[in-house]
Amino acid sequence: MAYDTKVDLDTLGLFLHEGIASSEHANPRESLGCREDADDAEIARRLFQIIASSDLARIGTESIHPEAARHPSVRPPTEVAADPSFLGRLSTSGSSELTVERIDDLPTILAVLRAGSRRQRRAALGRLAQRLRDRRLLHTDAVRKAIQTINELRDVELGHELALVRAELPGASGRKARQEHDEWKRLAQSVEDLIRVFWDGQSSVEPIHLMPGDQRALLLMHIPELPDLAVQHINAIIEGNDGGAPLESRVGLLSSLRFATDIRLVPALISVIESERGALVASASRVLGGIDDARVHPALAERFERSFVTEERIALAGALGMHGDCRGLAEVRSCLEEGQPQTLLQALEAMESLGSSENTDLVTPFIDHADVSIAIQAVRTAARIGDGRALDVLTEKYNTSSVPAMRAAIEDALSAITARMELRGEEAVTIDWSEVGQKPAPRRGSRDSLPAVVLGWRDYFMGRVWLLFGRMTWAIVRFESAAARRHDWAAPLIGIGMTFARGEQYALALPAFRRAIELDRTQIERNPILVRAMAKSFLRRAEQVEREGRDDVARGLVGEVLTLDLRRAPGTVRFELRRKHDVLRREGTDDVHSAA
Amino acid sequence: MSTPLRDAAVRRLRTLGKHTGEGAIRRLTMDVEVDGRVEMVTLSMRDDRLQCVSSDAQNDGPHVLAALEFIAGIELREDSAPPGAVDSAGGLSGEADAWGELAEALEDLVTAVARVGVAKAQYAPSVDAALERVIAVAPRPTPAGLGRFIGRLQRDIRLGEARRAARMLEGASQLVETLRASTPTSDSQQRLSAWLGARAASISSAQLLYDRTMIEVGREWMTGTERASVERRYIVDIESGHIYREDRPRQALASLGPCPRQLQVGLAEVETGASPARIRILQYEVQPEVPTENWKRLHEVASRSFAEVSDGYRRSVDAHPSLSEPFALIAPYRIERNGVFKAFDADGHQLVLNRSERRGAVLAFYDLLAQGAEPSWLAGRLTDQGTTLCLTPFALGTRDGTYMRL
Repeated sequence: MAYDTKVDLDTLGLFLHEGIASSEHANPRESLGCREDADDAEIARRLFQIIASSDLARIGTESIHPEAARHPSVRPPTEVAADPSFLGRLSTSGSSELTVERIDDLPTILAVLRAGSRRQRRAALGRLAQRLRDRRLLHTDAVRKAIQTINELRDVELGHELALVRAELPGASGRKARQEHDEWKRLAQSVEDLIRVFWDGQSSVEPIHLMPGDQRALLLMHIPELPDLAVQHINAIIEGNDGGAPLESRVGLLSSLRFATDIRLVPALISVIESERGALVASASRVLGGIDDARVHPALAERFERSFVTEERIALAGALGMHGDCRGLAEVRSCLEEGQPQTLLQALEAMESLGSSENTDLVTPFIDHADVSIAIQAVRTAARIGDGRALDVLTEKYNTSSVPAMRAAIEDALSAITARMELRGEEAVTIDWSEVGQKPAPRRGSRDSLPAVVLGWRDYFMGRVWLLFGRMTWAIVRFESAAARRHDWAAPLIGIGMTFARGEQYALALPAFRRAIELDRTQIERNPILVRAMAKSFLRRAEQVEREGRDDVARGLVGEVLTLDLRRAPGTVRFELRRKHDVLRREGTDDVHSAA
Repeated sequence: MSTPLRDAAVRRLRTLGKHTGEGAIRRLTMDVEVDGRVEMVTLSMRDDRLQCVSSDAQNDGPHVLAALEFIAGIELREDSAPPGAVDSAGGLSGEADAWGELAEALEDLVTAVARVGVAKAQYAPSVDAALERVIAVAPRPTPAGLGRFIGRLQRDIRLGEARRAARMLEGASQLVETLRASTPTSDSQQRLSAWLGARAASISSAQLLYDRTMIEVGREWMTGTERASVERRYIVDIESGHIYREDRPRQALASLGPCPRQLQVGLAEVETGASPARIRILQYEVQPEVPTENWKRLHEVASRSFAEVSDGYRRSVDAHPSLSEPFALIAPYRIERNGVFKAFDADGHQLVLNRSERRGAVLAFYDLLAQGAEPSWLAGRLTDQGTTLCLTPFALGTRDGTYMRL
């Protein structure tokens, strides 16, 4: 492309900008050296040719253009500016005066751990771990309390960080955490080997998709420790470049990554929100909301501005809220005001990161919602907003609700709200749990005769003995016999449930667990081993029936177990149950194929 | 011709005793032996045309003929007549009309923008109508090159990038001329192929590559007639340092694997045309883990002279003003990081980052620098801002052999 250097480029620039038709001061034909009778097509051609040539010839001939040499731009605020309180201004990193890293006072760190945003809680946990490394403080009361808090914490959102901190603790809990981590390492190694086989072309079976839900949740909980190969494989599935993953397994994997913080996932997740639609974008944006990386906010904001699908917009608004950008608040508010059943759960979830005390009145009515999932989510949202005005509503609900999961969520919420009030310097409210809620119903006195009790114990004992010898069938016969002799005794039923669960006969374990729950729910809920086996049985059975295409039955099973107080079940099982419940629920409302 | 494979297949089918009416064969790769020499032949349908590729580079050689006869089943049917020449006169005449119509639509678009000016083009009904007409008269589905031109033009108009829009329209004018030309030249055929696909060109300009090791260093979704209509992967041949692009249209297949990845390419086809050259990877093995020595190799083949990068950019944009989107792999001699990142080569020429595109990636790059990362090489798409050549970052490698995708 050559051009006549005598041509006045400024005039041509004006033609280019304003158009040749509206030119009043110069004649484009003359300026471009065209004939007087040249038509517009010829003039256009000449104009673009000259400008393109001159433009190209100038590249690299002058000093750096000031616009090109400017620093990108100031990044968005990372905290919600609307809350001027201590917690509202508490930064998780950086040089700000008020950062979690600078807090030395253990009670304050513990309060942030209960009441803060996900980022603040994560930072508080890190800070707590730092403080616990100081051996001089190990035998103080404050540290003992901190260790107790860490052991009691059942926050699935902080699963990875919690496991790391627990592994550093002294004593039995530390040993248990280290043992669990070793199990994870073995699992990760076997998955890595399978991934290698998959990409070598020796197997067409994608290994992560086929894993049982709780195992997959466990594997992905520690994603920052996974080798690059495994993370790359996950990225390939997320982007749809593994050669076979259907849409539903991509959505399933994304929802399993819900609380992942690994920045190696960011490019693939951004690629999804740039190029996909609907459930994929919503799931990917929920993951991105929790990742601290400079690439995340611009991508979320850009997608939010051009998205018109409500499901996407609410998820994006929530994710932006986690990055301190509240541009989607009005839309989430209007979703709650309209009360559309399809979007209620997502809107309440988004409100966790967007809401402030101004939104308490909007959220609290949903605590009485007929749908338990929505009511529990409203409780969680109220806990994250942390407004003291919600205390009365929550206490009242606690007294009237008979759903164990609801009561457990309210207990956590009350604790979070009081911690937040404490951090705000408000009058600390001490909740007397002996006065709150229904008292446990007094156990009915045994109506069994003495011979029935003795024979029942004999059968139960024999059942345990057979179990020791590995004779499952004989043991179950004995347990059945014990249960038949004493109708209000849960122990033999639990024995049956546990035996079937160990033998992976989940369909047979469920009736036994159900009968045991009917007789003595609290015994199961308060025993970590029992609650783990029971929750896993429900989860695995739900996966089995789902594979058979009976999604409604799977939904029923997951919904049933989620009404129980599962706080003592492993975080990965709770996470997977909630994930599956969300996915099956969406499938039920949107008529999308299973994404679990 | 001996057909033991076909006979064996017939026997296996009889044993299975099953039939299926489903399935469409889109590509076949086979080892064909002629005169004791075995070559790999790939037959595939692309844009409704049969493509024949042989590993001996003789795409109409005896191995390809043998493969075609096998597929056509000619050797089994002694009574069947050999396939005669297809009467394509009608088809050619129809094609010429279609190209004429497309040339006219593109010329109208160029004229419409020139009349109203780039500043007002975004809301001008005449420009909208002209764009719609171009899409309407173009072949279906819209060819990737034409789609990308429309996407880029709309973006430049929307952002008020008048000079870049002028470059797009200059490219469209060149295509108009090519479509109207009576005698094809190699340049015009290359242009047609780049804009409208291999089918539009009467001379195939594809070049074959065998047994190469390549590394994908970046990927992005590109806008065409619709947003995010093509996924573009940037792939570097670690022997020659050549950079290729693999375009995967939405809902279509391309080579599998994450980014980054290493590809052992057995057979690939490269189209000459807009930079980076388009590659179609036909036979490959993928490794999601790139060995450290190959990252080092990438550093060795990276461009060290920014003057050459700049010249290459100018040449490439000059040849294909609308479609060229050069990608570069650079190894800076030194970098400056006081406030603004600048990369320098040994001669003192500098390169800065483009901050108008992929802002998140640029911010993340600055974060990495702040954390003390020492980039030894940088991969990115080249653009120009004002008179300055800029790089939109996609990936960087550090001195300790670490790769980071941005």
